[in-house]
Amino acid sequence: MTSSITPSWPKLTGRKEFEFLADLVMSHSTGDHTFFSLRDSHGGTTRFANNQIIQNVNQRRGTLSITVAFGRQHGTASTTDFTAGAVRETLKQAECIARLSPEDPEYLSPVGPQTYLSLPTSRSETSVAGPARRLDYAREAIGQCKMENLNAAGTVSSSTAIVGLAADTGLRAYEERTEARFSLTVQAGEATGWSAAAHRSIDRLHVQERTLAAIIKAKRGADEPQELPPGRYTVILEPAAVAGLLSWMIWMLDAKSFYKGTSPFSGKLGSRIIDRRLSLLNQPAHADLLGNGFTHEGLPVIESGWIESGVLTQLLHDRYTAREHQVDPLATLESPHFSGERPIGTRVDDLVRTTQRGILVTNFWYIRPVNPSDLTLTGMTRDGTFLIENGEITSAVRNFRFHESPLRAFNQVEAYTAPVEAVTSETGKALVPAMRIHDFHFSSVTKF
Amino acid sequence: MFPATKDAAMSGSQWDELAELALSRVRAAGVEYADIRLLDTTTRTISGEDRRIAHIRESTDRGFGIRVLHRGAWGFAASSIISLEEIPRVADLAVEIAKGSASLAITKVHLAPEPVHRDRIVTPCRVDPFAVPLEEQTALLLSTMEMIQRHPGVVRSHASLWAQRDRKLFVSTEGSHLEFDLLAMQGDGSATAVQDGRFATRSFNTPYLRTGYELIRDTDFAREGARIAEQAVEKVQAPVIEAGRYDLVLDPEHLSLTMHESCGHPSELDRALGYEANYAGTSFLTPDKRGTYRYGSTHVNLVADNTEPQTLAATGYDDDGVSCQKWDIVREGLFVGYCTNREVAPRINEERSRGSNRADSWGSVPMVRIANIGLEPGTASLDGLLSDVKRGIYIEGHGSYSIDQRRYNFQFGGDAFWLIENGRRTHMVRDVIYHGITPEFWGRCDGVADRSHRRRYGFISCGKGQPGQAGWMTHAASHARFRRVDVIAGEAKANE
Repeated sequence: MTSSITPSWPKLTGRKEFEFLADLVMSHSTGDHTFFSLRDSHGGTTRFANNQIIQNVNQRRGTLSITVAFGRQHGTASTTDFTAGAVRETLKQAECIARLSPEDPEYLSPVGPQTYLSLPTSRSETSVAGPARRLDYAREAIGQCKMENLNAAGTVSSSTAIVGLAADTGLRAYEERTEARFSLTVQAGEATGWSAAAHRSIDRLHVQERTLAAIIKAKRGADEPQELPPGRYTVILEPAAVAGLLSWMIWMLDAKSFYKGTSPFSGKLGSRIIDRRLSLLNQPAHADLLGNGFTHEGLPVIESGWIESGVLTQLLHDRYTAREHQVDPLATLESPHFSGERPIGTRVDDLVRTTQRGILVTNFWYIRPVNPSDLTLTGMTRDGTFLIENGEITSAVRNFRFHESPLRAFNQVEAYTAPVEAVTSETGKALVPAMRIHDFHFSSVTKF
Repeated sequence: MFPATKDAAMSGSQWDELAELALSRVRAAGVEYADIRLLDTTTRTISGEDRRIAHIRESTDRGFGIRVLHRGAWGFAASSIISLEEIPRVADLAVEIAKGSASLAITKVHLAPEPVHRDRIVTPCRVDPFAVPLEEQTALLLSTMEMIQRHPGVVRSHASLWAQRDRKLFVSTEGSHLEFDLLAMQGDGSATAVQDGRFATRSFNTPYLRTGYELIRDTDFAREGARIAEQAVEKVQAPVIEAGRYDLVLDPEHLSLTMHESCGHPSELDRALGYEANYAGTSFLTPDKRGTYRYGSTHVNLVADNTEPQTLAATGYDDDGVSCQKWDIVREGLFVGYCTNREVAPRINEERSRGSNRADSWGSVPMVRIANIGLEPGTASLDGLLSDVKRGIYIEGHGSYSIDQRRYNFQFGGDAFWLIENGRRTHMVRDVIYHGITPEFWGRCDGVADRSHRRRYGFISCGKGQPGQAGWMTHAASHARFRRVDVIAGEAKANE
């Protein structure tokens, strides 16, 4: 059943309106350089728990930001008010800040005109979706769970954003981006099962299938979990768990820290850092990733290699550090594609079947760095942790805390699947494999 | 009325007109309850790194959010366009969304009663941070970073200042009318040293407090910069802690995070009722345990106080329009109370909300947030706590932190660690990580220092909710001692 909500959507900033605002800023600016960015969005989230809606929200938000520079002095002001008067006020404020700022030796003028890939960043089915569509998906997930006498908690969200950039250098960039997300935790008594999806198209959330996957997990864990001692185990990390570890590697690839010696990768560029079968690419044009056409500075997003056959080949450079080290600053890593040579199938079950004894981890939670020097991380297993014996899942186990570095874990990989879509509650979206890893360190156990 | 702003459209009387337009619109639709929050937030951030001012940004964030309760279910819509045309659109949308929520309702929402309030809340301050010359602020940060990087062995520095003003109007269909002019301020710095391929960072910060720029002027940034530079070098050169069981003496800043994660979050009633099951998690402090469950030793008294001046959650009224209060969470080790709002308080048969419902902007719907939960002072002195420790660790500041989704199993690091031997702090050690199960850990508390040691620290980035919101709260404590806690080294050695 489709719900009857008929939203009156606000019209977001069109290209002509963006050009008008950009020209207004550029024509009134007294700065040596001026950079203008705009984001205008509407969207909402339907959130449910205990099989009913607990929050149902919609927001329209527009923000514009102006950076003005006089020589190497720069300042930034932003506002949510798009009226011409407010834009001029914001420009004046940015000019005022810039004049009072000390010189920044690392300031670089905005980039000039660029050529961008034309990416499918916007899907009309998402931009027209509203509370009614989100409610339908919530109803679907709740309905399936209620039929099984289970408890559903989750979210359905959809949004459309206009992003525009302009500078006195002639830079102009404008893009519409849509995004839809679904996540679900199914509770079966003390046990939980989880599944999540994110896509440019709301039609590609696969709510029914993902709800079923979370239900199966929850039911599988419903028997009293056994407590295993902490220690080193062979683990099968499902894609979300792999994405959790990988994300922290990605976040630490900052080049400035690398050159200052305050990065776990310092001295390792050009060296093998993980298993030689594994590679990491940025694939902004991949239809199942959330790639954008340009960065927040207006640089084009391109496909790039980061880890090739286990060797670190790329760092994330800000423009100043790139110039200082004579490196192209174009490589970014918002659309990670992590894969290995000769994968075993595409399903986690393909790894389970060939595992003598191990722990299956659905997801990690609250991953935080413990030792940034060697990228030791900690976190908890969550929403489905199971013992595998002789190729089968034999019981649920209590959740573990891990104490491990992905730089070690990804060197202890035994087997992996082909990459699939992975989303977690704490990271973005990536294409990653499920992995079997030996000697993964669990340092303690919790009470459930 | 509000102080004059640069935009005439944001004057107080016009806000009142807009609020009345919104509420009359939703009243006509037959809602049981509605409120509107109009906000004008100005944030200034000055951030420096490695002897340069990297960013100065001043942002203005204005908008309104309308929340309606209709047929026992919530709808919320918000917009950054404050106009006579946008208010009715958003009001109608909020009602329509609530109707959709109602179509899946099992338990209807009934709000705990609250008296009607008409009031105006203003943060007292001696020095308006937005009136302080930028040159003074950037000079302070540059000299602080210079002081830090002057120290041999330090390779990176950071220093920043942050200030925010929130002008807010809350009006409800029940007749409450609340105006706010709130300030918050904070400053910090850090030093990073390298040695043998390792690096270590030592930080200082003022607490986040609702006060003016006097907070910064009253802090000796130069002295703090020199101190952390020296300690960063000492930290990176310090020996790794040997794993084992240690007595811990925790400083107030460190305890603020321990309390936040292991007491604050599990005492949020919405979590205990399953509202956060899909994200932040639930709580081991389930309603059946209230009044009977031993959370910690008899030394442990955790009090929520949203009335203490200058603290982040002390805003006079929360975003339900409920006046701020003080109440017990844990009394002499026994779990006795929750943080609540008007929606969830009746679910545990409480007659009134504790007034802990807050949203992080006009665009966010308010939800239960941790109150200003603090550890009540004891009778010991810090020297007294240390003197009775044969082999222990003294921990200052925040480091690594992680906790499971029911808030049982936690693991914390810190910013700096000193070995305690035979009652004396001796030398720094590094990579200290302690872990435990929340009630067992608090059960090991055998002493809390007296009020003279009490300090307040706050957070403005407590993550919760979907879409995620950042919560603000202050946690005060005196030093406390915990016996025989499991400690491991932060390095992931292959033979562990």
